[in-house]
Amino acid sequence: MRAARAAWRFLRSEPFAFVGAAIYALIVVTAIFADKLAPHDPREILRVGRRVARYLPISPEHWLGTTSSGRDVLSQLIWGTRSALQVGLTAAIVVVAIGTLMGLLAGYLGGWVDKLITRLADIVLSMPFLPFMLVLAALTTPGTTVVVACVALLLWPNTARVIRSQVLSLRERAWVEAARVTGCSNTRIMFVHILPQVLPLAALYGSVAIGWAILAEASASFLGFGDPDTISWGVMLQEAYANQALGRGAWNWFTPPGLAIVSMVLAGFMISRGSEKLLFPKLADK
Amino acid sequence: MSAVIEARGLGKTFRTGRRTVHAVQDVSLAVSAGEALGIVGESGCGKTTTARMLLRLEEPTAGQVIFEGEDITHRRAAALLPFRARAQLVFQNPFDALNPRFTIRRTLAEPLRNFGIPEAEHAARIDAVMGRVRLTPASAWLDRFPHELSGGQLQRVVLARALIPGPRLIVADEPVSMLDVSVRAGILNLLRAARDELGLAAIYISHDLALIRYVCERTVVMYLGRIVEEGPTAELISSPRHPYTRALVAAVPVPRVDQDRAALPIRGSLSDTPQGGTGCAFRDRCPHAMPRCEAEAPALREAGPARRVACHLEEGAPS
Amino acid sequence: MSLLSVENLQVHYRTGAGPVRAVDGATFSVAAGSILGLVGESGCGKSTLGRAIMGVLPDAGRIAGGSVVFEGRDLVALTEAQRREIRWRRLSFIPQTAMNALDPVQRLRAQMLEVLMERGGLARAAANDRAAELFRMVGLDPVRLADYPHQFSGGMRQRASIALALALNPALVIADEPVTALDVIVQRQVLDVMRDLQSRLGLAMILVTHDMAVVAYACDRVAVMYAGIVVESGPVREVLERPLHPYTMGLTHAFPDVHGETGELVPIEGSPPNLLHPPTGCRFAARCPFAQTRCHEQAPPAVTEGEHMVACWRADEASALRTAAASPATWAAVVPA
Repeated sequence: MRAARAAWRFLRSEPFAFVGAAIYALIVVTAIFADKLAPHDPREILRVGRRVARYLPISPEHWLGTTSSGRDVLSQLIWGTRSALQVGLTAAIVVVAIGTLMGLLAGYLGGWVDKLITRLADIVLSMPFLPFMLVLAALTTPGTTVVVACVALLLWPNTARVIRSQVLSLRERAWVEAARVTGCSNTRIMFVHILPQVLPLAALYGSVAIGWAILAEASASFLGFGDPDTISWGVMLQEAYANQALGRGAWNWFTPPGLAIVSMVLAGFMISRGSEKLLFPKLADK
Repeated sequence: MSAVIEARGLGKTFRTGRRTVHAVQDVSLAVSAGEALGIVGESGCGKTTTARMLLRLEEPTAGQVIFEGEDITHRRAAALLPFRARAQLVFQNPFDALNPRFTIRRTLAEPLRNFGIPEAEHAARIDAVMGRVRLTPASAWLDRFPHELSGGQLQRVVLARALIPGPRLIVADEPVSMLDVSVRAGILNLLRAARDELGLAAIYISHDLALIRYVCERTVVMYLGRIVEEGPTAELISSPRHPYTRALVAAVPVPRVDQDRAALPIRGSLSDTPQGGTGCAFRDRCPHAMPRCEAEAPALREAGPARRVACHLEEGAPS
Repeated sequence: MSLLSVENLQVHYRTGAGPVRAVDGATFSVAAGSILGLVGESGCGKSTLGRAIMGVLPDAGRIAGGSVVFEGRDLVALTEAQRREIRWRRLSFIPQTAMNALDPVQRLRAQMLEVLMERGGLARAAANDRAAELFRMVGLDPVRLADYPHQFSGGMRQRASIALALALNPALVIADEPVTALDVIVQRQVLDVMRDLQSRLGLAMILVTHDMAVVAYACDRVAVMYAGIVVESGPVREVLERPLHPYTMGLTHAFPDVHGETGELVPIEGSPPNLLHPPTGCRFAARCPFAQTRCHEQAPPAVTEGEHMVACWRADEASALRTAAASPATWAAVVPA
């Protein structure tokens, strides 16, 4: 309850974070009620009389028109939030889990553990994202699992780095030493005493990872490595591209999923930008 | 009486790059049950490092730490648990010594849990220790978070956390220096009472001789990592033997208008003192330095009943 | 006439919950060439008071009333530009941490020359001579002007920041806890430098400190602050030996004296009031063993007898209260809410 009130106060004082959180909130609500909000089944091939309702323009009937195969764009967009969230959240959770664990171990234990993890993080950070994903997708069955795995494997170092530096400074606090004097094992100090202090920071990096994961999924789908059976913004774009929607001027088909992806990525960025003051108060003084 | 804790020739050497720093050298001391020993000196004299080695928060690079007859000098972290329960630390800065996300109750339950005290006993022990540090009624405090307490109240909680596992040794590192003057006496009195009533061995680390005199019968003075003088606190202050102790005693501010304002019997500053070499570490600041001080470091020798001094001037002097 | 006289000064801090009256009626004066100790516990407003006089309050703080008359001019009424003209030239500041006064990436000579040439209008050669003179004055070897601050020990840094504060020959220096972070020997040496400057240059000083012993050693007069108010002031000997305010009496028994008797020390139970909603009566009443109904209801006015000022309803009974205050039992009986 206390935390909720503090979060609300914070959001009100930081417009950037507020807008970001609002976008996330809108998408979560949409995803939850997708089946109620969507006017049509996103897979249903609509017909006008006996003909497939291809490339219908924006109309009161179809707010965002229809696709080349006569499906309702708005409904696809709404259902797309589900897969976006699913990919985004899973990736974020995995990124946060790996990144926090690595950062915690490196920062608290130091020594060779720190060296090993930092070195590993450097290597991973130097790997190009898209080629790595394409290779991985080509080697396994394409689909969301690959996307999530890629994001997790390549994005954890960012989280690990900030968590590590946070832990390095927390480790010097007297209450951490106090935990040692009062009989805590290293494991307990790390997970019971220090972890709760770094979780907000980790969550922040998670919110950035959501955007990244959605972008990654869209790229993979667009390049044809996605799962064609799911309804996602990336698949929508890929379909639009394959059917030359651009050439036909069917902007009502490809613009909405594009904007949705951009706003998701932007939301993650805005939240992290807005939280800077909270996490690095010294920055705000300048 | 046998000592609760004993240091024999304790030393700590840090290596940073090419430089080797002898933070502590050849420190020997012992504290019995019910006794309070003061370790006094300026910042950088090694008093805190010594205390940390005694508590095995730092591993010594030389010498031994004997706790209740057992050598714990190089004991592994996992095997230190029983020792941890019996040797506790009171921190300097109460505003930083408590986990900000733990309630007072959880802070006090943490050591009980770690030291394997059955959960059924927790409530009673927490209540008892809160009474001892005079945070009563306990129920009014236990569910609060550290940021809701004042410095003096926090330091009582810090003391309570140190006492709750039933230690035999308490080390207090500048226990009141961060507190307001009006509440310092309260903490010092609690520490004294706990030591007397529980028969604890106590070690106080401080730069403040006035404070040390209030709580410790015996005191060692450290300078640049070594003990330069040891003796009963009252005697040490009334008749200091080492030139450094003399300067230290003269420098203690006293709350009286009529006092000696003569220049201190000391030269230079700590940073001017060259480390290493063979002679006495204090020679460059000593008003009585002789050629011999340059050539040879004085050993810590008996200088009368219960007194030890490391100074060439004291050799052959009647004790 | 006093060099500085502060009259009923009020300083408020804006907070989300309303104004905090950090200083709520401070009255005292500093004579030319004398050292005033401004003593009190953390949060009593002593540092805020020092900053308010300097005109360097943080953004959230503002002077809400009263006057600060320095060399015949009310600083509160001046414009920022006029104040800047006075700052450093006539009135200068030594912060608690010398590192706050010194630029870590510049050699000390450059820092001294900047002040001496830009603010003081000296030519380079004259400024160089003056810098060396200032260093000698505070007991530093002028050779060290070529060093960076990090090459100095804590005591030397504090000396350097004193030298910097003295650069333009101010009449009054405000030092905020200048020796708190220093070891006893260095502390004593820095205090000696200050006393020496006072006697040689006729410098006046306000020494903000929490330590009564520092006041006893170095100051001529003392003002004791509690919860934003100066509760007692006067010559140091008067205040230490014949305190009139129960808070001052309590303080004199609250810390050990290295050579004095080893009687039981007596804490003052409880903590200072919240200055967001200060009590209507005397602010010390909740912790005072001598508080009466009147004390809780009405704030006591300041009364002056000779040079000794006190704000306490029972000041006329002070000698009886002093006897009672010497006994630990008196203070133990107070149970603050």
